Amino acid sequence: MFDRHEDVVERVIQQLRRPVAIDPGLDARVMREIAQTPGGSRGWRVWPYWASLAAAAVLAIVLVAHPRSRQRESADLLQFVLVAPQAASVSLVGDFNDWDPARSPMRTAQGVWATAVRLAPGRYRYAFLVNGVEWRADPAAPSAKDDEFGTPSSVVTVGGKRS
Amino acid sequence: MIIVALLMATQVAVQDPRLERLDPETRIAVSGVIDSARSAGLPSEPLVQRALEGVTKGAAGTRIVTAVRRLSSDLATARGALGTSASTPELEAGVAALRAGATPQLLAHLRDVRKPPLTMALSVLADLVAGGVPPDSAAAAILVLAPKARDADLVEFRRAVERDIALGAPPGAATSVRVNAGAETPNSLQSGPPGNTPPPSRRP
Repeated sequence: MFDRHEDVVERVIQQLRRPVAIDPGLDARVMREIAQTPGGSRGWRVWPYWASLAAAAVLAIVLVAHPRSRQRESADLLQFVLVAPQAASVSLVGDFNDWDPARSPMRTAQGVWATAVRLAPGRYRYAFLVNGVEWRADPAAPSAKDDEFGTPSSVVTVGGKRS
Repeated sequence: MIIVALLMATQVAVQDPRLERLDPETRIAVSGVIDSARSAGLPSEPLVQRALEGVTKGAAGTRIVTAVRRLSSDLATARGALGTSASTPELEAGVAALRAGATPQLLAHLRDVRKPPLTMALSVLADLVAGGVPPDSAAAAILVLAPKARDADLVEFRRAVERDIALGAPPGAATSVRVNAGAETPNSLQSGPPGNTPPPSRRP
């Protein structure tokens, strides 16, 4: 009975780890809906010259302050899963979300916690924060051997072309 | 106005608001290390992330500064071995490989035998060592596979070795057996363009 339960959990995990298929036409449909919304073009009363300058300034700030955002277009969607039936909350924290527990809270289905994160090519350290206090490494991923802060971490590497 | 905006943007980058999570004394010390690294042409993002990891994990300020300083030094070593054209992910993976026991000479050799990016090859080397494979065995295996294996093949190689170890095989033996098995399986490790294929799986 116990083995059968584990088998079910394992199958659930396998399903959760499958890549999420996103309709490639979604962006186009959303933008079309926005364009058709009444009043959608209101508010552009700024002189085009100043609007262009403002756009350039915003772009410059974004590119300089957040260099990794330039890699987003080649990002892969990865799913992270932790089986923790007793946990009240689990967060995924790592190099990809500034180690901020509020950025990637995980959702549970009968104790199987999961979330998906889009990652550009690279090597990332991460860990699970259980109940806001307990650090856990990902049992399904290589461990970060060089942990310098006394708690376990894991690593994930996303392959790809030179960025 | 554009110049002013760019200056403002540069200022934003220098005074990274994410570092406000550090206490003032630690923030000053970490910012100093990051500024020095940036001046030396090293990427600052890995250093910021290491500091944020430390503060989120509740580490003492001195420990965070030490970790960031050590990472900066290792990034410089990795860049020295991999060259100035190495990307940030390659440098980060290079640091992991160095800390796993690879030498700068090995990194340089890897750069000579494999087309970029080297991120996956270096990461697999580090992960094998973290999984119990002796550094020399892991390095030898990666050097054998690197010229022709795709990134996906290297990931599968690592998983196969990990499976064998979990089943009780000695790590060194598991590695050498899998390398030889790969060399005898042309369709597995010797097909397709080397080094430029993303991993087939989306799991860590």
